[in-house]
Amino acid sequence: MTAGKETRGKRPPFAAVSAAAVPVLLSAVLAAAMPGAVLTAHAQSDPEQTEASESGRADGGKVTLRIANWEEYIDEGDWDEEEAIELDDRDHTVIFGENSMVEDFEQWYLDTYGVEVDVEYSTFGTNEDLYNQMTLGNNFDLVCPSEYMFMKLIAEGRLQPLSESFFDPDIEENYYIRGVSDYIRNIYDTNTINGEPWSRYAAGYMWGTTGIVYNPEKITEEEASHWAILADPKYKGQVTIKDNVRDSYFAALGILNEDELLSPEFVSSDDRLEKITELMNRTDDKTVAAAEDILKQMKENAYSFESDSGKADMVTGKVLANYQWSGDAVYTLDQAEIDDYILAYAVPEECTNVWFDGWVMIRDGIDGDAAKQQAAEAFINFMSRPDNVVRNMYYIGYTSVIAGGDSDIIYAYADWCYGAEEDAEDTIEYPVGFFFSGDDSDPDYVITAESDQINRQLFAQYPPEEVLDRAVVMQYFDQENNQKINQMWVNVRCFNLASLTGSDWAKIGAGVVIVLAAVFVFLKRDDLFRRKI
Amino acid sequence: MKIFRFSRKQLCIPYALFLICFVVLPLAVIVYYAFTDGSGRFTLENLLSFFTNGNTIGTLCYSIVVAAVVTVVCLVVAYPVAYVLARSGLKRGPVLLMLFILPMWINFTLRVTALKEILTLLEGNLSLHPFLNTVIAMTYDFLPFMIMPLYTTLLQLDKSLLEAASDLGAGPAAVFFRVTLPLSMPGVVSGITMTFLPAMTNYVILDMIYNSTYIMGSLIGSYFNIYDWHNGSMISLILFAVICVVSIITGGGDQNDAKNRGAVL
Repeated sequence: MTAGKETRGKRPPFAAVSAAAVPVLLSAVLAAAMPGAVLTAHAQSDPEQTEASESGRADGGKVTLRIANWEEYIDEGDWDEEEAIELDDRDHTVIFGENSMVEDFEQWYLDTYGVEVDVEYSTFGTNEDLYNQMTLGNNFDLVCPSEYMFMKLIAEGRLQPLSESFFDPDIEENYYIRGVSDYIRNIYDTNTINGEPWSRYAAGYMWGTTGIVYNPEKITEEEASHWAILADPKYKGQVTIKDNVRDSYFAALGILNEDELLSPEFVSSDDRLEKITELMNRTDDKTVAAAEDILKQMKENAYSFESDSGKADMVTGKVLANYQWSGDAVYTLDQAEIDDYILAYAVPEECTNVWFDGWVMIRDGIDGDAAKQQAAEAFINFMSRPDNVVRNMYYIGYTSVIAGGDSDIIYAYADWCYGAEEDAEDTIEYPVGFFFSGDDSDPDYVITAESDQINRQLFAQYPPEEVLDRAVVMQYFDQENNQKINQMWVNVRCFNLASLTGSDWAKIGAGVVIVLAAVFVFLKRDDLFRRKI
Repeated sequence: MKIFRFSRKQLCIPYALFLICFVVLPLAVIVYYAFTDGSGRFTLENLLSFFTNGNTIGTLCYSIVVAAVVTVVCLVVAYPVAYVLARSGLKRGPVLLMLFILPMWINFTLRVTALKEILTLLEGNLSLHPFLNTVIAMTYDFLPFMIMPLYTTLLQLDKSLLEAASDLGAGPAAVFFRVTLPLSMPGVVSGITMTFLPAMTNYVILDMIYNSTYIMGSLIGSYFNIYDWHNGSMISLILFAVICVVSIITGGGDQNDAKNRGAVL
């Protein structure tokens, strides 16, 4: 099931193309056919084109918004009746996904701004897929890649900055800026590419940490709380690693710098986060070479490099520990729980990677069209409206960057998910104030949860302040460093002839001799099998 | 007035168009990327870097070894099966053949997933024998492609030739090696081409069976993943060359040989 099949099929019929557009089409065809005519054709068609689109909008014409998002990363509606979420917030809101989020957006936009918007929604499987699609000329207006990909897009100047009014908290419909968590907002404001903060171009969608899903019966929490478990010979063939260079490189650096990251003076230093960021984003030759050795050890030791199968292997008990993103960790824990198989999630003591998926507008797609940009920003805001945030979080299981602002719906949803039954005996007071109000000691944001939630789903979805104190963003590598690290990754994954030992070569030699002998027998079969008379 | 006349040649037009759009043009694009650098200038750098890097050469060797072992195992397993099915005059021959072909009707990812579970049961932990698992999985997947051509050639084999050989004093071994085997060479050759070539590139099976060492297919994929279309294209071209060489060796030489052998008797 992909969200893509929900794409609206409501393009206007061809006959509806206005008469003014016909010369445009014609000249485009001419231009394609005769390169020499390009200039004149363009010069003639340009004013007409603008005129056509402006007059079209004055008549209440549609705005087309092309959105690309991850597969299964938005509520598709069609909930069963009993799925309705009855929250215990101030207004006792009931959350129910009747239509898909995209349909609801189209309706809401028409009701709010009086403009029809036609969303062409498509999906992608990896950041690289999205990037390659864009390179091949597939144009989008609004996309939702991971942080390293939107950093790359910012660096390449391919994004359209968000408008100033998007950040105006006084506008009622600006749900994003009114609701986003201060913690997240701070990260988007302080991380920069070429001197420009992320927040100039990107608005957050989902976020999380990376860590280790483990089986607490076989592995202690202490062991799972260090990156070293991924290369520990004690668990040979029992752990899985991510099949992408960014996450695996981060884990390798975590092992490489373990001593420094855990030293008391490092942990207690005031600028710990900056220091971790510096340490975990190093790309000098020495670091890359050391990481390569560690990754080779990890390759020998691991059950598999996986990009999707790790969740199933964890749930079916094939492996004991699994390097995972927090969102997928929640999914894995949920799935295992159905079979009464209890798993847990740990975030390494050394440091962790805090990751984001964010909405960004593509400059070539928006192409200076103010109406389109308005619709794109409205879409981000609509997705950030607290009730819609809950619908998306319920559907995909990840954690939204939205804390809710004035609304307490999102906190109520966290409590609905993880709050213990009233008669439960073994409970803990779990603070989530750091995310919701900036302070874990805020008494308004404490969830009374069952005690095992301290290292399970609640912990994965809303990590406490002490985890976020060691959670850093993995920076964007420029082209040169990117290639260096990728070459390192290829070296890890390839079969290197130099790794063969003398006895290996002897075996290969023996094999070759046998094959040659077989060929010889075959060629000389007439003489060998002739009957002696 | 000249009336449009339909001739047999025109039947080829759809296929020719298809060929140009989806074979010739993409190949031209690959050649372009393979011999240019990031700024579009002609370069041999991509070619040289492939042959000067121990990892890429290692991958090529590893893929060839995987493919060769898979092909040999397939041949050794498939030949007796095809021989028995075609030659022993079993009444249920076609039904039995069907049993071997049947798995091909099921999607291969599903089959490999099932195989994964079976191997896990047998071995306990898949990660301990990645090479063995790869060979088993690929053999399982490609076996029908080996059985089919062998079965067809063996079925068409003229029995009177075999009788003549025995009458003229050849023992069963001599009949097999001097008549049956040479006459079935065309089947062997097409079986080899149908298993060797996919075995060099089908990295989906490797991924699914958790062999974390790259083969040629995954190496190409890894370059395209980091937007390095130039090196990726060059490796595709090198693979293409390897495949051409294999086809020429198996196709050209042995088929003539088989004909001569068969005729000599």
